[in-house]
Amino acid sequence: MDETVAEFIKRTILKIPMNELTTILKAWDFLSENQLQTVNFRQRKESVVQHLIHLCEEKRASISDAALLDIICEDVDLFDMKQFKNSFKKILQRALKNVTVSFRETEENAVWIRIAWGTQYTKPNQYKPTYVVYYSQTPYAFTSSSMLRRNTPLLGQALTIASKHHQIVKMDLRSRYLDSLKAIVFKQYNQTYETHNSTTPLQERSLGLDINLETKFKSGLNGSILAEREEPLRCLIKFSSPHLLEALKSLAPAGIADAPLSPLLTCIPNKRMNYFKIRDK
Amino acid sequence: MDSYNAPESTPSASSRPEDYFIGATPLQKRLESVRKHSSFIPTPPRRKIPQCSQLQEDVDPQKVAFLLHKQWTLYSLTPLYKFSYSNLKEYSRLLNAFIVAEKQKGLAVEVGEDFNIKVIFSTLLGMKGAQRDPEAFLVQILSKSQLPSENRQGKVLWTGWFCCIFGDSLLETVSEDFTCLPLFLANGAESNTAIIGTWFQKTFDCYFSPLAINAFNLSWMAAMWTACKMDHYVATTEFLWSVPCSPQSLDISFAIHPEDAKALWDSVHKTPGEVTQEEVDLFMDCLYSHFHRHFKIHLSATRLVRVSTSVASAHTDGKIKILCHKYLIGVLAYLTELAIFQIE
Repeated sequence: MDETVAEFIKRTILKIPMNELTTILKAWDFLSENQLQTVNFRQRKESVVQHLIHLCEEKRASISDAALLDIICEDVDLFDMKQFKNSFKKILQRALKNVTVSFRETEENAVWIRIAWGTQYTKPNQYKPTYVVYYSQTPYAFTSSSMLRRNTPLLGQALTIASKHHQIVKMDLRSRYLDSLKAIVFKQYNQTYETHNSTTPLQERSLGLDINLETKFKSGLNGSILAEREEPLRCLIKFSSPHLLEALKSLAPAGIADAPLSPLLTCIPNKRMNYFKIRDK
Repeated sequence: MDSYNAPESTPSASSRPEDYFIGATPLQKRLESVRKHSSFIPTPPRRKIPQCSQLQEDVDPQKVAFLLHKQWTLYSLTPLYKFSYSNLKEYSRLLNAFIVAEKQKGLAVEVGEDFNIKVIFSTLLGMKGAQRDPEAFLVQILSKSQLPSENRQGKVLWTGWFCCIFGDSLLETVSEDFTCLPLFLANGAESNTAIIGTWFQKTFDCYFSPLAINAFNLSWMAAMWTACKMDHYVATTEFLWSVPCSPQSLDISFAIHPEDAKALWDSVHKTPGEVTQEEVDLFMDCLYSHFHRHFKIHLSATRLVRVSTSVASAHTDGKIKILCHKYLIGVLAYLTELAIFQIE
């Protein structure tokens, strides 16, 4: 076996976590059952790897065999769709008995999930389903807001367990358009945010910015207006535009906003949120 | 009900944030001049806060319930020549025939149009401000029922009503041959509005004109409707501004809890029973300055396009929705004033 091939296989195997090693080697199907049985997987990793390289040499592994191992590592590393779907469905069905779960896989490694919720005693309501889009290559899932609140924890649990993550955290990003959320979350927007000449990123369509203000009114020029009032003004401000980030940027040059722009307007890409609550300190 | 105080010659000055700028950008200067032009209307600098009018108590709330919670498109209408309230049945018949004829003309374009319609003219009793105001009337297009029973009413396809609330300034200028109902409100397909408008124009030698509402008047409406006493609020108070910026426009919506809006108004308000120009300006400036404090954006340099309160909501394109029966007459009074101004 070529030196370079041996080295390549060694580095590839070293990258595989120990708990997945046997799975991957079986999937590779290059080393025989008998050969694998001779390996003591409880040793230190270096010793295991050395043993495996030795076995590969015995079988005269070629560069294409090495390449195949590499691909399998990538594949297993990412995702087992069938297992995810089964696991997800089982978790919901065990908890609710009455639930309709459907899947649709799309390109970009996204799986669309439709869930119609029922209870232990009632049939699933097909008219108020929840939609979830899970991007298996990423730790992100997007859910539609048409969801009965009591099912949120269960949905979170099912997603976490089925996708083999540890925890699920709700982000403060909302939009009517999936593309715009993806743009922010997957950082698919133009990074050179501060320059005025940057081209408009395609996927920024129709993102909104919502800010919930509960702050006291400060008189300023107006003397004693609301001076005695302890309670804050309860306000909700919404900015919306087909190209929100670009529109906000153009406010200062137009003289409509003071430069530099308020941090509330520039923080969407950094904080990856588009819903904020501001309170008096 | 009393009529307004005599208008003064110029609106009183107000303090606006942009007065404090040292240098204004070309856009700001342009926006300011546009605003000055559109606000240079010799309208009275004070108006009465809408109250429950005595006359309104004669109006059956159920009869006018259908006017609420609907979006109406506004038009101003010049006085109708030789219109008679005793000919309403005749008008129904004539308009009906006209609509059918017009729709048949357009048959090539609108295939499958349903010609089973019925037109009804009726008066809206009590829908006036002063005794002198002419009676308001209503026109409805209903789809005729398929069933043989005569009394069965079909679905309402289109509604339009004509009214005049405190139209003294117009009434004084016309002869007896004319009926002054300067405010027209329509709900339903634009194509029907056009056909009916054409018939009225031909029959009574009048002229409809879409009634836009500029930012100046929207601000007044917001202040007046916030000033109205409410037992409970059914909607949040909301303002919508459109910002002309490149590459495409930006909409800024500012919603404030109605109780907080009322508290702000009460703090600004000085003259009992009335709203003055200064108070409107101060109310708006407070909102602008609260917004500026957080966002460093000068809302006064943008275009106010919509205001919404628990009393009513209005859009600059001349669309109105009235939510509160109690202040129906008050809202219509302001709109009548705008319509009359557009006609004169």
